[in-house]
Amino acid sequence: MNRGDGIQRLRVAALILGVASALLFTAWGGGHAIAGAKTILILGTDISDTNSLDPQRQFVYSAPITEHAVYETLVTMTPGNYKDVKPLLATRWETVDNGGALVFHLRPNVKFVTGNPLTADDVKFTFERLKYLKDDASALAENIARVDVIDPLTVKVTLDDKTQPLLPFLIAPNFGIVDSKVVREQGGLSTPDADKNDKATTYLDQRSVGTGPYTLARWSRSTEIELVRNPNYWRQPGAFERVLIRHIPDSATQVLQLKRGDIDAALNLTFDQLNALGGTPAISIVKGQSLDFMYIAFTSSPALSPPLSNKLARQALMYAIDYDGIIKGLIGGDAIRPASFIPVGLGGSTTDLTREFGYRQDLEKARALLSQAGYPNGFSFDLSYGSGADVGGVSYEVVAQKVQADLARVKIQANLKPMEQGNLRTAFRKGDLAATITFWNPDAMDPSLWADPTVQRVAKRVRWEPDPSIVSLVKQANGEPNTQKRDGLYVQFQKLLSDQANLCVLFQPMYSHAIRDSITGYQLTAAGWQADLYDVKPR
Amino acid sequence: MSRNYVLARVGVTLVMALAATLVVFLVAHFIPVDPVQAQLGDLASSKPEIVARYRAHWGLDKPLWEQYLIFLQRLSRGDLGQSIATRRSVLDDIKQYAPATFELATLAILLAFSVGVPLGVLAAIKRDSWLDHLARGTSLVGVAAPTFWLAFIALALFYGGLEIAPSPGRLDAGAAPPPQVTGLYLIDSLAAGDLRTFGNALGHLLLPSIVLAATTTGVITRTTRASMLDTLGQDYIRTARAKGVRERAVLLRHALRNALIPIFTLGGVAYAQLLSGAVMTETIFAFPGMGRYAFQSAVVLDFPAISGMTLVVGLTYLIVNLVVDLSYAAIDPRVVRR
Amino acid sequence: MIRAEVEAKAPGRAVVFDTSSAMRRVKRYWLPIAGAGLVAAWVVVMVLGPAIVPYSPTAVDLTARLQPPSATHPFGTDDLGRDVFSRVLMGARLSLPTGFAVVLVGGFVGILIGAVAAYVGGQVEEVLMRTADLVLAFPPLILAMAIAAARGVGVGNAVLSLIIIWWPQYARLSRSLILVQRDQEYVQAAHALGQGSVRTLLRHILPNTGGPIVTLLTLDVGNAIITFSSLSFLGLGAVPPTPEWGAMVSAGRLLIAQWWVSGMPGLAILSVVLAFNFLGDGLRDWLDPRARQR
Repeated sequence: MNRGDGIQRLRVAALILGVASALLFTAWGGGHAIAGAKTILILGTDISDTNSLDPQRQFVYSAPITEHAVYETLVTMTPGNYKDVKPLLATRWETVDNGGALVFHLRPNVKFVTGNPLTADDVKFTFERLKYLKDDASALAENIARVDVIDPLTVKVTLDDKTQPLLPFLIAPNFGIVDSKVVREQGGLSTPDADKNDKATTYLDQRSVGTGPYTLARWSRSTEIELVRNPNYWRQPGAFERVLIRHIPDSATQVLQLKRGDIDAALNLTFDQLNALGGTPAISIVKGQSLDFMYIAFTSSPALSPPLSNKLARQALMYAIDYDGIIKGLIGGDAIRPASFIPVGLGGSTTDLTREFGYRQDLEKARALLSQAGYPNGFSFDLSYGSGADVGGVSYEVVAQKVQADLARVKIQANLKPMEQGNLRTAFRKGDLAATITFWNPDAMDPSLWADPTVQRVAKRVRWEPDPSIVSLVKQANGEPNTQKRDGLYVQFQKLLSDQANLCVLFQPMYSHAIRDSITGYQLTAAGWQADLYDVKPR
Repeated sequence: MSRNYVLARVGVTLVMALAATLVVFLVAHFIPVDPVQAQLGDLASSKPEIVARYRAHWGLDKPLWEQYLIFLQRLSRGDLGQSIATRRSVLDDIKQYAPATFELATLAILLAFSVGVPLGVLAAIKRDSWLDHLARGTSLVGVAAPTFWLAFIALALFYGGLEIAPSPGRLDAGAAPPPQVTGLYLIDSLAAGDLRTFGNALGHLLLPSIVLAATTTGVITRTTRASMLDTLGQDYIRTARAKGVRERAVLLRHALRNALIPIFTLGGVAYAQLLSGAVMTETIFAFPGMGRYAFQSAVVLDFPAISGMTLVVGLTYLIVNLVVDLSYAAIDPRVVRR
Repeated sequence: MIRAEVEAKAPGRAVVFDTSSAMRRVKRYWLPIAGAGLVAAWVVVMVLGPAIVPYSPTAVDLTARLQPPSATHPFGTDDLGRDVFSRVLMGARLSLPTGFAVVLVGGFVGILIGAVAAYVGGQVEEVLMRTADLVLAFPPLILAMAIAAARGVGVGNAVLSLIIIWWPQYARLSRSLILVQRDQEYVQAAHALGQGSVRTLLRHILPNTGGPIVTLLTLDVGNAIITFSSLSFLGLGAVPPTPEWGAMVSAGRLLIAQWWVSGMPGLAILSVVLAFNFLGDGLRDWLDPRARQR
């Protein structure tokens, strides 16, 4: 037998051996659905944007669901009601100093997962750390001038500007109270030099020191986050021993995993995928109204687009768009539309208002306005958007093409200009784009956080110089203590904004998560943490 | 191949890898993306204090040439800087993502070669037979179908439908990775004597490797076939046959050996490409690897990450191509260096 | 052999027209002929384009969304209610030429550079090959983004980006093949006889090394179309609503229940890859004198 034969046979043998062992290992090492014994809750979502689990630093989309489960705030909001603040770690509170400060009374006998008791010191430490880290989330603490400990269970928070709100901000997971003793041990600081000298983040990325029903056991970047039950929780313990938040960046893969039962909830499915799942046994869809919206920003700058700088032309545009078609056709009706830039559910914004003075498709009116504006034969402009991105499963690209088709009916030509997201953000925020389809999601749960930016940074982006009367109207509304009056002022403001026609809100989507019948109690919230994992129980 | 040649080549490799980072720096300068804007949230981006702090932290307030100098300085200390997106040292990022890609790529190329070469040889020998047509046909599927298609169909079929493949990801949900030695789960689990995790990791590697191998197998099969046909037509083959050398020896020792050069060339490029990551396959199989990291860094112009990646990828190509070039001499001694 | 049979049947009679031989050639080359036919069909579609599409490829109609293939819509409709068949036909006008251009120009440039490197050797070879390595290592996305930023977004510039990242593979391949040939006896013989280098290169070396290169070229056309789509996906290539096969496949990817949105353009790409492959194989066989003898 010569070498050639031997080598040939060896090759074949190796191949057979390799394939056989691979099959063996596959059968052995894989394919088990963990979701059988329900002590573990598994969620499937994209956590690649999570770059920290330090509660005072994280400010991305996917981290809050974890933060909310391991840290608790003084106050919170329940799904569907974004006006009333509810007690959590604070049992009651009052306004003092003529609206200049808030005093919170803490719940007694609450322990951190570390065993240390919750005291006012921890609140002071947390709030100050958030402010002085000067990181992404620190803007939320801007209105906090100082925090004082009155007694171990009472803390006083003084506002910087008492005409601006603070209470609703405090529900954000960034205000999740940390065990100051442990964080200090790990190099954490709440002093003004915290931005340079705080060293606790590395520790907090791997261990949580909160009061929540679960606690962080392990974070494997872009792989999974593992939480375990907190035995020291002050309420009924969490229903699961472990919670896994598994990184599954592809929504189609999430569908497969959900169907197979390897995950209990899929968080990022597109509308069409959810539709296709309808009727699948053991799978149901949980919906929740969000406060996000997709909108188009039109510039007022004649240098960027002479037609768009004309208000009548912009209004014509807004009368040409088929809003109902977009909502019914592209989202299956799972969305509503506010009248202007304050979402339905806040600040007096309701769908009735939309019917009253919001735009709707009216091609005749659009054509009339175009003639009035001096463009009887239409005009063209560039419409930019982020390629490959979507809101609630509806991609900008699809919406852009639909809007383009709508506008063509009144002879307005929209030239689509997709851009990669980094590029888009840079150009848009600099105010260099004629028209942009983009997205707004809540910074915090207060209408001032929509109204204010509209006349400040967003106005700059569309090169609009708002009349001083509008700016003072907004300021007045922000600081108005009486809710009814406040809402009225915001409605007034929205009418003006609507007339100005720089911002065209297309829709405010409902978010949907697909869940298996193995769990119950799953509810969506618009308050920023998507779902409260404490509510979820095995069926 | 002289030792001097190899040393000189290694030296050139290092210099070229550095040159690549300089070119990336310069080229990226053209792109009008502001990494701070790309990263910061809407609210934070409007606060000058926060923006200023960001810029200072990442040295983005300095002129480009100074940024590059700082990059070189750090590099000399083995520090690749900190990624703007992940807020972690780029080296740590690469230490996490590169091993996953390495395992995938290596398994894929082994599969591709062990299936592609024999298939290509057989197709060449039994030219125009049903085997030849089968080989050419199946190799086309691997090349014509986009990888993400194949990836999803494979996952839907073997995981979703037949339920014989494990869930996407490097390990089962909730399974702790083996203690870190190399980052390669296969090696680390063996080192820790943990056969369960070894099986787990291997099982999870199989399907994505097969998907990645599909395209490369197609190329290797067809290249082997084409190269073998070229070689088999050469005079020295006829001479060998005329001299009475056994057919099998003719095929393997003479024809295949000389046909190997283009196969190795393309295989080398394919391996290096696989080592740079495969973003769609990694996404669909939830495999955190270099492909996705490179893609996401490029889109937001995360300079430190891009530079670090370019360095690593550059070195990979240069090393792989160096090995391939050296192999030419081993295969065919007539390829003499001038 | 045919000849022998004919002679046996009619000894002494010279064969004037060898019909059976021609038939054999057709039978042998039926795949490449089919491939050529398919390419020709696509070219016709490209040229006739707007005249033959049953529906407008860009007419949005949300009430007709995601309909499966039927008599009125043989390829179904996509997520904006557009007729997929019309979009596939129109998509040929963009996808085919770009795929072809990238491979042809990139391949040609690469082969040339590789040949020069192998032939000249020494420092030149080092510089050229290390440049190829550098280009291979360069993040392709950054390159495409930079070119788009410097020269504007558009199909032409996307093709340029792709050509730049495409040539190194061919350079490496052609260099490796020519290295082998360069020192063969027949080349030395040709030189001894006074034949110039370039002539030797073109007339002797290239035909002998053609096999793997032609194979790679034909395989790459589909690859180029698909890579072009990833640029479109990022807004760097074809701008919507212009139909482009690769972009259509990407856009329809998540619609797993509505397989036709992604599947039909994918099949179009497959058909082109097959066609070019069969053509390429036939070309190889036809050019290779030794192969014909079998």
